Formats: sequence, C-alpha cells, structure tokens
Amino acid sequence: MTEPTRLRPGDARAHGPTVADTLRQDRYPPPAPLLEQCYAFLGDAPIPVSRYTSREFFDREMRQMWSRAWQWACRLEHIPDIGDRYVYDIGPYSIIVVRSGEGDISAYHNTCTHRGTRLLDSEGSGYGQAITCPFHGWSWHLDGSIRNIPGRWDFPHACEATHSLRPVRCETWGGFVFVNLDPAARPLTESLDVLPEHFSHFPLEQRRIKLHVQKKLPANWKAAQEAFMEAYHNFETHDAPNGGNAQYDIFGKYVSRFIHNIGTYSPQSLDDYPGEKWRQPTLSEEELLGILAVFGVQRSNVPEGESARDIAAGDLRRSLGERLGIDLSDASESMLLDSIEYHLFPNMFLFPGLGVPMVYRFRPDGERVDQCIFDLLIMEPMPEGQEHPEPPEPVHLEVDDSYTEVQELRWLGPVYDEDTGNLALQQRGLASGAIEGITLGNYQEARIRRMHLTLDEFLSASEAGND
Amino acid sequence: MTDEYVHIANADEVAQGKTLVAQVGDREVLLCHTSEGYFAVDNQCSHAAARLCEGKLKGHKILCPLHGAAFDVRNGSALSRPASQPIATYPVRVDDAGIAVLVGEVD
Repeated sequence: MTEPTRLRPGDARAHGPTVADTLRQDRYPPPAPLLEQCYAFLGDAPIPVSRYTSREFFDREMRQMWSRAWQWACRLEHIPDIGDRYVYDIGPYSIIVVRSGEGDISAYHNTCTHRGTRLLDSEGSGYGQAITCPFHGWSWHLDGSIRNIPGRWDFPHACEATHSLRPVRCETWGGFVFVNLDPAARPLTESLDVLPEHFSHFPLEQRRIKLHVQKKLPANWKAAQEAFMEAYHNFETHDAPNGGNAQYDIFGKYVSRFIHNIGTYSPQSLDDYPGEKWRQPTLSEEELLGILAVFGVQRSNVPEGESARDIAAGDLRRSLGERLGIDLSDASESMLLDSIEYHLFPNMFLFPGLGVPMVYRFRPDGERVDQCIFDLLIMEPMPEGQEHPEPPEPVHLEVDDSYTEVQELRWLGPVYDEDTGNLALQQRGLASGAIEGITLGNYQEARIRRMHLTLDEFLSASEAGND
Repeated sequence: MTDEYVHIANADEVAQGKTLVAQVGDREVLLCHTSEGYFAVDNQCSHAAARLCEGKLKGHKILCPLHGAAFDVRNGSALSRPASQPIATYPVRVDDAGIAVLVGEVD
C-alpha cells in the first residue's frame, strides 16, 4: 500500500483501476473530451463555516457575486414567440427575459421606473405584447421603450433616456438564456471555459425538458450544491459501490467535472472503507447488470468474455435509441451509462450523458442564508430537426416533501431523497459553531474548493472596486 | 343568452394549443384546446379591459395580453396577479357535429 504522506498533496489517488482505464477499455470510443484529465492541487486550508451561516457573507455574495456573475435564467423554448417572457428571481433581484423580436431576446430589471413596483409578480413563463405596471399602468414595449404613461402631462421630466425599462445583459449558449446584472460584465463565453468545445460533442440545443422539479432544501445554497459535486458520498449516503474511484477535473476558474463509472466499479478503491462490502466477495457481472435494470436494461445474463457494462450499453443503444428516435448505434459505454457532471460557476450543473441527462441549478431561496431552491431538470435528446415542445411547468416540492412524490422520477426519487437528506443535519452542524472550517479532500472535493476560490475573486474584486 | 348548446367550431378547426373566439348571444367565448381537451372561458379578463384571445394559451393557462394575468381554463380560477377574480367557464360538448358550448344563465 502506498503511503499517502510520501506523495505531494493532491497526488494520491484511490487504489485500483481508474475511470480513464475503464474508458480506454470500453469497446466504443468515447467522445474526445471524456478522455481529457485536468487536475491541479488547489490547497488544503479549511473553508470557513461562516460562508454557509453568516448573514454578512450572504449579503456580500448578493452584492458582489450574484449581481455580477452570468447565470442561467431559462431555456430558449420557454420563450419561442414574440411576447413570450420568463421571470427569473435571484435573492432581491428579479429579471424579465423576453422574446422581443423573431431572433431577439432582451432582459430587463423587473422593476417599474416610476415608483419601483415589481412589474411581474411570479417567477416563470408568461406572455404579453407589452409590459404593464399593475400600480399606475405605465407600460413598455418589448424593446423596453416607453409605450404609455397615463396622464403624461404630469411627467414632462420622464423620457426614454430616464424611464425605459432598465436593461440587463443577456446571452445564449446551448439553448440556455444567461443573464448578468453587471452592465460591464465580460462576455458570457469568457466564463464558459471548455464548455463550448466539450459540448460541441453533446449539443444541448437539441434537448427538451422532459421533467422539471423545483424543491426547497434546508441548507445554504453552496452546501446544497456541494453535495452534488463529489461522488465520495456514494458509499455511505447511497449504499453504492461506484464513487470511490471517480475522476475529478478542474478546467478553469468556472468549469469543473466529475465522471464516475456505472456498470463497473473498483473494489480496490474501497479498500479502507468499513466492512468487507463489495470487496469480499466482489460483485459479479450478473449482480452489476442487475443494478442496471433501473436504466431499462432488459437482459440479466452476462455471457463468458463479456461484461455487465458491455451488455447494458448494447441494450441501451437499441432500446434508448428507439425510445428517443435517435441513432445511438455508435454511442460509447460512457455516454450511455456513466454519471458525467460538469459544473459551471456559480450554480449550474450539466450532464451530457444519455442515461442520466440532468441539468441542476442551486440558488438562495429569496434572501435566506439557510435555505435554497434546487431546480432539477431531466433533459432528453430529441431527433435532429424536431421542434421543441412546450416545456412542462415545474413540479414544486417543499422542504419536507419527498422526491418519491414525483412519479416520473422513478428510481431517481429515492436517490435524490438520499442526496438531500443530509442537508438539514449539515446546516445544523455548521450553525452550531463547533468547527470553524470544513475540511475538503485534496482530489475528490477539489471542485468545491475551486468554486470557493472563484467566489473569492468576485468578492475581492468588488471590494477593490469599492475602495 | 341561451340555455342550449351552440355550435361554434368544427372538430378539427382548432389545433391543440390554439384558441378560437366565438360570439354566443351577447358574450364572447374563448375556446381553448389543451392537451386535456377543450375548455371554454369568457374572453374578457377579470382584471382590466382586455380580450384574452389576444393573449396566449400555455398548457392549461390562458395569459392576458395586457398584464400577463394567468387563468386556469379548466375552472376559470385566477392563478396570478394582478387578477384575483375568476373568469366564467362554459360547458363544452364535442361530438360528430363539432364543438358546442352552453352559455346559460351566469351564476
């Protein structure tokens, strides 16, 4: 056994075969980005607990990060026709995204320029050929210009220059509309790191929202999203064998990734985990295939010389391809089975895989330090040329509701209950003041540290600017 | 005002996701074809003077063109501000002869 102390920090890895080993052995070559590996040690200092519990820190995040970072507001298919609009709320801020012309998308502060009333009350989809304040009836064209001011004789001092709707920067990528409240923000592409290149292999434009579940979670938004940034918890939280040797990549300040294999696992990666589970004896190929029945894999026997991963992928190439109406005959084992998760700072997760094709978003619930909103979308690929259907309305779940109430989630319902079930405990533990900082693994939890380092850059840059 | 079903459209006239306005007696009725079937509501928003036919049907919601108030076309209930009062709904009959609505006495 290698002594971790003799390696430089960040150099140690789990024992046994790696994700890269599995991908190299797969029969169908994966898209090139999945073979990339990119990790560098980012430090091992504790992350202060106050980041998750303090009002003062929360307010700094609002003032200096949320008001300056690009963030996903809605999908293009939420606003297909001129006049369609979508309200996106973040903390005290509210933004209207509107289809203002055939190929034009605009965004505005959801605030009346007369006396400050919020123009549109609730988050989500809407429609109108004008935007009208419910207080005195001031209204604006879709391009933000003034349409009507009732009793205009009394407002000789109000004109386009002063009373158009306040614009918000917006740009699109991958079928998503992003907004940025900072008029001087750098272009969105500078915050996407490798995403445009990597996702040219897995186009998100051609995906549809099959299901949208929006749940409130009892923890700071960062604690909640960090529960989804590593697979180290799989053994204890999910009673699952395949997180111990996951691959973690940091592609830049804004983008990180993990890949963990499904349909195979590394017993050696669990060598110092409690008990003999999954090591003595190891899972047979038949048992591994049995775990994959939830993916819709029909076969249950693994012939000599084949693996559960081969059989499951072969089954899904046919059955998933038929269900989606897409030719998946060249799809790699990794794309069909693995959990491949990209994170885009500050709060967006993208899964390019076909078996687990999710998108996540985490953000504070209003201005609550200790509660957040988790948007979970299942985004299925569509046949080329097919138009997007109208997206489904979100299913809303409160803190105490269970994901199993959403039948369409099927086997994922209990999994998300497990993922989110520790959060209230963690937030309470953090709030107790017993520890001053949380500790992160150098490799498996490096994505969390990267996120905090980038957050620090936002916070310190703003402070410098304020001096 | 009538107490009988009045034919307002042929069976294939209104595609799913679309609406059609019909004058029945002294009333404008908005027929909405949703994934759950046909529903008929009053064409007038309960909040301000706006015709809902100029708005948009999204799922089972009709959205007012003026302020974006949303109503559930299945029961007429107001789903979002600034509307708080419901809009009237009318029974719809679909058969070989087409689509008919009953605009009886208003409650």
